[in-house]
Amino acid sequence: MTNSFNRRDFLKLAALTSLSLSVPPLAKSAEQLAQPQDGKQNVLVIVFDALSAYHISLHGYDRETTPNLTRAAEKAVVYHNHFAAGSFTVPGTASLLTGVLPWKHRAFRFENGVVDSYVKKSIFHAFDSYYRIAYSHNPHVVRFLDQFSADLTKFTPYEQLLLTGNGIIQSLFKKDDDIANIAWSRTMVKDKGLSYSLFLSSLYKQYNENKIKAYKPFFPIGVPTIKGDDHFLLEDAIDWLNDEILKTPQPFFGYFHFMPPHDPYAPHRDFFGRFQNDGLQIAEKPNDIFAPFRPFELMITKRREYDEFILYLDREFGRLFDHLESSGLLENTWVVFTSDHGELFERGIQGHITPAFYQPLVRVPLLIFPPGGTTRTDIHTLTSAVDVLPTLLHITGQKAADWTEGVVMSPFAVSAPDPERNVYAFQSYHSQQNVVLKQATGMLVKGKYKLVYYSGYHDELGADGKLIQLFDIESDPEELNDLSNSEKGIVEKLLAELKAKYSEVNEPDL
Amino acid sequence: MKNKFNYYSRLGLWSLFLTCAFPLHFWAIILIFNDSTWIAKRSNAWDSVGVASYGLVFAFIESLLLFFAVALLGFLVSTKWKEDRRIALMSTLVAVTALWAMTAQLYFFLNVTFPESWLLFFALVGHPLRFLYETAFILVLPTVAIPTWLILKFEKPLNFAATGIEKITLLTSLYLFFDFIGLIILVARNL
Repeated sequence: MTNSFNRRDFLKLAALTSLSLSVPPLAKSAEQLAQPQDGKQNVLVIVFDALSAYHISLHGYDRETTPNLTRAAEKAVVYHNHFAAGSFTVPGTASLLTGVLPWKHRAFRFENGVVDSYVKKSIFHAFDSYYRIAYSHNPHVVRFLDQFSADLTKFTPYEQLLLTGNGIIQSLFKKDDDIANIAWSRTMVKDKGLSYSLFLSSLYKQYNENKIKAYKPFFPIGVPTIKGDDHFLLEDAIDWLNDEILKTPQPFFGYFHFMPPHDPYAPHRDFFGRFQNDGLQIAEKPNDIFAPFRPFELMITKRREYDEFILYLDREFGRLFDHLESSGLLENTWVVFTSDHGELFERGIQGHITPAFYQPLVRVPLLIFPPGGTTRTDIHTLTSAVDVLPTLLHITGQKAADWTEGVVMSPFAVSAPDPERNVYAFQSYHSQQNVVLKQATGMLVKGKYKLVYYSGYHDELGADGKLIQLFDIESDPEELNDLSNSEKGIVEKLLAELKAKYSEVNEPDL
Repeated sequence: MKNKFNYYSRLGLWSLFLTCAFPLHFWAIILIFNDSTWIAKRSNAWDSVGVASYGLVFAFIESLLLFFAVALLGFLVSTKWKEDRRIALMSTLVAVTALWAMTAQLYFFLNVTFPESWLLFFALVGHPLRFLYETAFILVLPTVAIPTWLILKFEKPLNFAATGIEKITLLTSLYLFFDFIGLIILVARNL
């Protein structure tokens, strides 16, 4: 195959053909939907943390994990190839909220916020004429919301929707909450039977146990928790949200970030065991070079618990959606359903704290429910988390943000999507914010190819510290065949583009 | 100088505080060292120092709470015994309780597992949890009762306890110095 010329032509032709078939109805609905009707429409962004598109039945997963989302999707624009900008909360959410990739907002590590230059470049700032309200179950996101608080009309405290927890630590040590929380957990919460404290940890455990005792029968593996002692119920959060949005002055922009299905997985008893022995065929894949040892059987169990936990959030999202519908809010509100990153249960990796960028880690759901929408539109072109901000501004008739790296997505964009568009994800887990990055994983998806470039991983990859992977995610969605040796031309081209981007953004003191 | 209740002297209270602080700091420091690698790997060495600082400050607070509780319990001990004997008794009881609390965690720290025959036996007794509690009580009771009796009754055990308290004073003072450094780091991280 004379690769690049033919492939490009093929992609262009394929995109044009499909567009020529779909443009008339899409253009019409996009035109209708993009026009704010009478006055401004509300925007409601719902994020479920660590929800991988790979595990969503709406996106083709063999387990029926999202019956309610599938039902609601009949009134939504469904994005099937949507990518998070990073593989864990900090870079992923910061990109969603700022519309730029991690190499610009520089939130790389657990304790990072965005750099100062992006504090006034958030989605909340962009919707400055709206009543802006936000809540997050995830303390890392709370840090961003703290940073953006000048642009928030109402910022609901993290501890308000918790059954138990260390809200006081969060409030006392605002500037160092990540490390203060770790120390608190290690002191007071007996993790695998161990805690720094010899006596108080037992008393504290008893105190918390009493507080959650009533809910234990509903959660066979344990009451949902954020980090050891911060227990919560998604039902409570959704009930609160249902009340809150009715009371919120309109037009509003709401951002609500809920923890399920993030680890630890705690399926509700209504769903626990639902997928036990369901015969799902899970292929055993070779261990990744970055994988710690995790037995395959353990990952099968964890995967089942994760999938059953998704059923719980799906039910609660269904309740929220029904409430929006019955209250009439759906008629004048754009609702966005998405996630900040995915989760992986294969190749010896369980979770998402890994340098790897396999599809289950970065492909996340995105559904946009237009006000009064009645039909479903499926979009298969590549989209990115950084596109959410410009798209929401566009569809609500707001001024475009000049700082964003994203584009207005189909079907709302005026022009046809670029089939040669680059979609990136990036992480530099151990890097300081304002230095030249030495260790990083970069992902570039273009058309059907996905290039992953690991650099600076000397411990795992030897003196060179580099590794390149290339996958054809159309014909090999499970990423079983690394084409980096057989498709050197494509590797060269994509790597040159990624490196060009690196040299553009990888400057010290950004 | 004795306080107005004439029950504890300042020196006695200080000794009691140091005995309370010693095991709590000793254990916290072991686990802090054990955690330092993964925390440094998770973020960096400075964060590892941060966790250690918070851990030490929390250990100091726990020491204060334990000290107040023990000092209050000390009022239950009759004044027919002199203060040094009462302090030695309370300090020994703190040490014994702390040792048991450490043992409970060591089980996990050293990854100890009961032999299968023991587990089978526990299962066969019908009420395994009750059996374990009863066994624990039988084990703990003499470790509390015997030192109490020895210290209240004889001079040699009293002198032994007093020497022990004296020896840990220096080490605990060092721990308290670490706490102070930890507090400075904690403040610096939150400025």
